[in-house]
Amino acid sequence: MHVPDGFVSGGVNAITYIISGGVSVFAVREANKKLGDKQVPLLGVVAAFIFAAQMLNFPVAGGTSGHFLGALLAASLLGPWISCLIMTVVLTIQCLLFADGGLTALGTNIFNMGIIGGVLCYYLLVALKSIFPKNKGGYLISVAISSWMSVVLGASACAVELAISGTSPLSIVLPAMASVHVLIGIGEATITTAVVGLVLNTRPDLVGTYSYPDARTFNRMEA
Amino acid sequence: MKHSFLDNYSDISSVIHGLDPKVKIIAFFFLTVVCVSTPPSSYFSFGVYFVVLLGVLLLSRLPFHHVFGRSMVVIPFVLMVAVFIPFLKKDIIGGGYNLGIGGLTVSNSGLMVLWNVVVKSYIGVICMILLSSTVPFPKLLKGFEDLGLPKIFTTIASFMYRYVFIITDEAQRMKRARDSRCFGGKWIWHSKVIGYMIGTLFIRSYERGERVYVAMLSRGFDGDLKGKEGVQRLKPGDYIFLSVLIPIVTGVRLML
Repeated sequence: MHVPDGFVSGGVNAITYIISGGVSVFAVREANKKLGDKQVPLLGVVAAFIFAAQMLNFPVAGGTSGHFLGALLAASLLGPWISCLIMTVVLTIQCLLFADGGLTALGTNIFNMGIIGGVLCYYLLVALKSIFPKNKGGYLISVAISSWMSVVLGASACAVELAISGTSPLSIVLPAMASVHVLIGIGEATITTAVVGLVLNTRPDLVGTYSYPDARTFNRMEA
Repeated sequence: MKHSFLDNYSDISSVIHGLDPKVKIIAFFFLTVVCVSTPPSSYFSFGVYFVVLLGVLLLSRLPFHHVFGRSMVVIPFVLMVAVFIPFLKKDIIGGGYNLGIGGLTVSNSGLMVLWNVVVKSYIGVICMILLSSTVPFPKLLKGFEDLGLPKIFTTIASFMYRYVFIITDEAQRMKRARDSRCFGGKWIWHSKVIGYMIGTLFIRSYERGERVYVAMLSRGFDGDLKGKEGVQRLKPGDYIFLSVLIPIVTGVRLML
């Protein structure tokens, strides 16, 4: 899903660069408000975690595998703006060091994965949470659906951008991208739900979006 | 454990490695942007860009297999999105090629789109590989900072660089432990195991971040990293590099 150089047109690049730039500046401010001077070490280590987690491939079917995106995981644990900031750092470094995703398409990639996958789907999670029963099961179902959506919506946004740029007609690229990512999204949803469930059991204070009374308050002094 | 998956070969010595990081950032970013803005029909321009990049590659003494091996990263995306375009796009004016197999045709405009994306993405990838293989990562960040990138991004990135090896080691140890217990997962519903691994990895990383923060606080951290040296002055070689590369690229772009 990392768009290389040359696939999207100059106009699409410019618009997504402006949006992504503005959102990252806002995200820095929000993260600073929430974390203060804890921001730098914590975000650095969590960004390194996303990097390492993306190296653990999960099996899709037969012998093929996909890798974890992590935007919604970060959003459900740490909130939308911190997630967006972490994804911005991770995507920029993937572009510079691994040539994964083009430099001119970096704005587009941050928009697809950080803003749609992290921020937009965070609000989807908040909306879903209010529909499903207010307990752990309902919460995990909304995490599963919104993480699946984060992959599918990100891929669809990518398809729409390619179509606007005239690279490939929408009627072909949208079904192609969506159908592959519907499958990859299942992996993402399984993993995100398992991770959030595990963190809920061990450090519930780290799951920022879980606010129901049955969350145990974990006191590290007692442990 | 030894990791060199980030800035491999960035510590060898050559003319290109000796240049200032700022100069290399400007040069490769400039080349990428100019290349992407070039109309696909000016074949000569793309030829010149390749020659320029080949020149830099030869001067940098990087092994060819390293650069070409890593440049394969674009292939999945090209395969998924672009390879079918010539068969699908219909020419408005005639001039396609009939392959004569079941009415399969290849259109000129489609081929042009394919050529456009392949050549631009490839040049972009080569630029980024040359940049990351000739500048060690900490110096690259310093270069970006000198060029005016907000400090918060570079400090987060430098912390990431510091811890990515430790956390990757942690992930590799977990993977080894899993494999030695005969995981052998082949299907998507086996992903739950990976989920638990990633969950454990998250908690360990987050707690490491908290410990690092506490350790920093106890050593007087107040939100600002001190001890950064000033902006480095450019050397004559840096000016020569820029004054050769930029006019050639700009000239070729504007003339054709």
